[in-house]
Amino acid sequence: MQTLSHEDVVVLFASISIMLLASRMFAELGRRIKLPVVMGEMILGIILGPSLFGYFFPEIFNKLFPETGNVAISLNAITQISVVMLLFVAGMEMQLPVVLKQGRLALFTSMTSFAIPFTVGFWLAWIKPEFLQVERTDTHLIFSVFFGTAMGISALPVIARILMDMNIYRTKIGMLIMASAMFIDLIGWLIFSVVLAMMDHRGVGVGLGLTLLYVISFGVIMLTIGRKLLSRSLPFIQTKLSWPGGVLAFSLGLCFLCAAFTQVMGVHAILGAFIMGIALGDSVHLHEKAREIIHQFVTNIFAPLFFVSIGLHVNFITNFNLQLVLIVLAIACIAKISGASLGAFLGGLNKRSALAVGFGMNARGAMEILLGTIAYKAGIIHADLFVALIILALLTSISSAPLMRWVTKNNWG
Amino acid sequence: MILLIILLAMIKGKPSFPFETIALAVAFSPRLEALISETKRFASLFSAKVVFIHVGKRTAEKELHLQNILSHYGFTGDNSTTEWEDGESVETILSICKRNVVDLLIIGAVEKENMLKYFLGSVSREISRRAKCSVLMLTEPKLNPVPFQRMVVNGHDHSKTIHSIETAIYFAEKENLDEIIVVDEVDIPAVSMSIADDSPEPEVTQIKEAMVADESSRLTNLLSIITTNGIRLKAKTFAGRRGFTIGQYAQEMNADILVVNSPDHHMNIFDRIFTHDLEYMLADLPCNMLIVHSRVF
Repeated sequence: MQTLSHEDVVVLFASISIMLLASRMFAELGRRIKLPVVMGEMILGIILGPSLFGYFFPEIFNKLFPETGNVAISLNAITQISVVMLLFVAGMEMQLPVVLKQGRLALFTSMTSFAIPFTVGFWLAWIKPEFLQVERTDTHLIFSVFFGTAMGISALPVIARILMDMNIYRTKIGMLIMASAMFIDLIGWLIFSVVLAMMDHRGVGVGLGLTLLYVISFGVIMLTIGRKLLSRSLPFIQTKLSWPGGVLAFSLGLCFLCAAFTQVMGVHAILGAFIMGIALGDSVHLHEKAREIIHQFVTNIFAPLFFVSIGLHVNFITNFNLQLVLIVLAIACIAKISGASLGAFLGGLNKRSALAVGFGMNARGAMEILLGTIAYKAGIIHADLFVALIILALLTSISSAPLMRWVTKNNWG
Repeated sequence: MILLIILLAMIKGKPSFPFETIALAVAFSPRLEALISETKRFASLFSAKVVFIHVGKRTAEKELHLQNILSHYGFTGDNSTTEWEDGESVETILSICKRNVVDLLIIGAVEKENMLKYFLGSVSREISRRAKCSVLMLTEPKLNPVPFQRMVVNGHDHSKTIHSIETAIYFAEKENLDEIIVVDEVDIPAVSMSIADDSPEPEVTQIKEAMVADESSRLTNLLSIITTNGIRLKAKTFAGRRGFTIGQYAQEMNADILVVNSPDHHMNIFDRIFTHDLEYMLADLPCNMLIVHSRVF
């Protein structure tokens, strides 16, 4: 069996250690000034990466975070696992019944909140790709669909946190925003999975059609029969097997199994993990403690490794393109805020509350970063656009809460 | 047509109690006699007249069988009527209830149905989802019925809740109960992920506790404005999925009856697939259940 050399092991462990310890330090510092944890982790990645540390100390940087060789492959594998697990926990927070309960209003808000930015993003990428500094290639349709999706997506955890901090989480508007964000997450990741499948098949064809059929069948089975079977087996697993080892091994084992399945089907592994997360997270039999343990495990170990690693592979200074950043920010914010506000208004909220919903839904957070990273690695977007999307994610996450406060003056009627 | 309009006008806006007219859906199952016996008890309790409804062929044999049981339990033409009709079970029962301005429909229901039957929708579950009057689902009707001892009622933040609690008080008074437990559930979706990574453990607990405390104080305020007629209303608030947690609690407490709000919309198969609220309880009835239809809405 091929193994890592003594030196590889030392470098691998040292780099993981640096990423974990430093990211925790940055996260804690960020927390004190009310910055999202993911932002601290991203900033650390930029500092450690070719933008700063790698620029001034290229030898040490290349030694610690090599681009090729065994250590690079190992770190890449860890990043892949992290992405799959992040999507798994994102799925676990989805509760389709919440969307169903909110009914027409949530449907209006989510449809317009996703459809308008998606259409605007798609249209811009399709008709005027030069604005995004992209040339027409044979993957232009894929790029356009991706850009539309990137414009439409929301970040459920960030939104939930904002609503809790503003003490409106359990209000009518709070639940509406949550339900809409959940629905958008679901639609967004489904479309993105199709984008990745299209990338794999280089366009639309018989292979893609078959893949989509498999994916739809997988989704339907997992969210119906699979969900019920999981729910019925959880009480046994949580009471008869060792705690929390049993439920952790069961959950993560199934997560990776589904990830492997969708990867085999020609769609990215993330879809399998995401659907599995929804199926598991929806169960009322999953202990709250088990849910928290899985979250803590993923968000404190794997998420930092993933978010720090983003900055290690991209130079945020040389790839910073102000014009592109401004275009992406303008398109994303205007389309998203107007789309979500319109939906909430049509659904029956007054203008002020509807605008607040729009600002709330505009938070992109880790979801946009995940989406951008996977697209960048799959070769769908160039580095400049990737950097613009990361900046969009960070700025919208920070600005959502103050803008909501400003528009409502803390009065939610 | 005019009659229908008059009937609708009578039903609309009619409070959920008193139960002046009660109905029993008759299915000629082995539990028929027990259900009639229970109906007799409720009819006496509420001083109500009774409508027995059977959907199916009216044969001499069935008629004789039913008549024998009804006579045994003292149902005469003065205090009861029997409606025989052919047609689709759910639609027909509901239409007879509407025609007779029924306040409370009693149906027998198994605690748990097999998955296929549940998804396709059994008669009793479909009635409970669609009825425009209150529905009492009896899971274990007895030949010698005993009064209910423990009553649990939902205390959700919903405009229907006050009617459910008042109906529960009316019921409890008739049963001579001292206490009703009012349970509220605080559902906090997506909270774990949003606070797991950037809050220390005490803060996470504090956030969750604060949400439960907020809800608890809302429930206490609601209960303080209700006329209880001497019945103690004990408030309980739990974090958990709405519909599921109260069912679990009722089961743990060995409640005899769980009183809940009627659904806001017509529940369909999607509500069963993506189970929520009332559907959790219908999937696995924790005890006898009273679904209060407040016709004010």
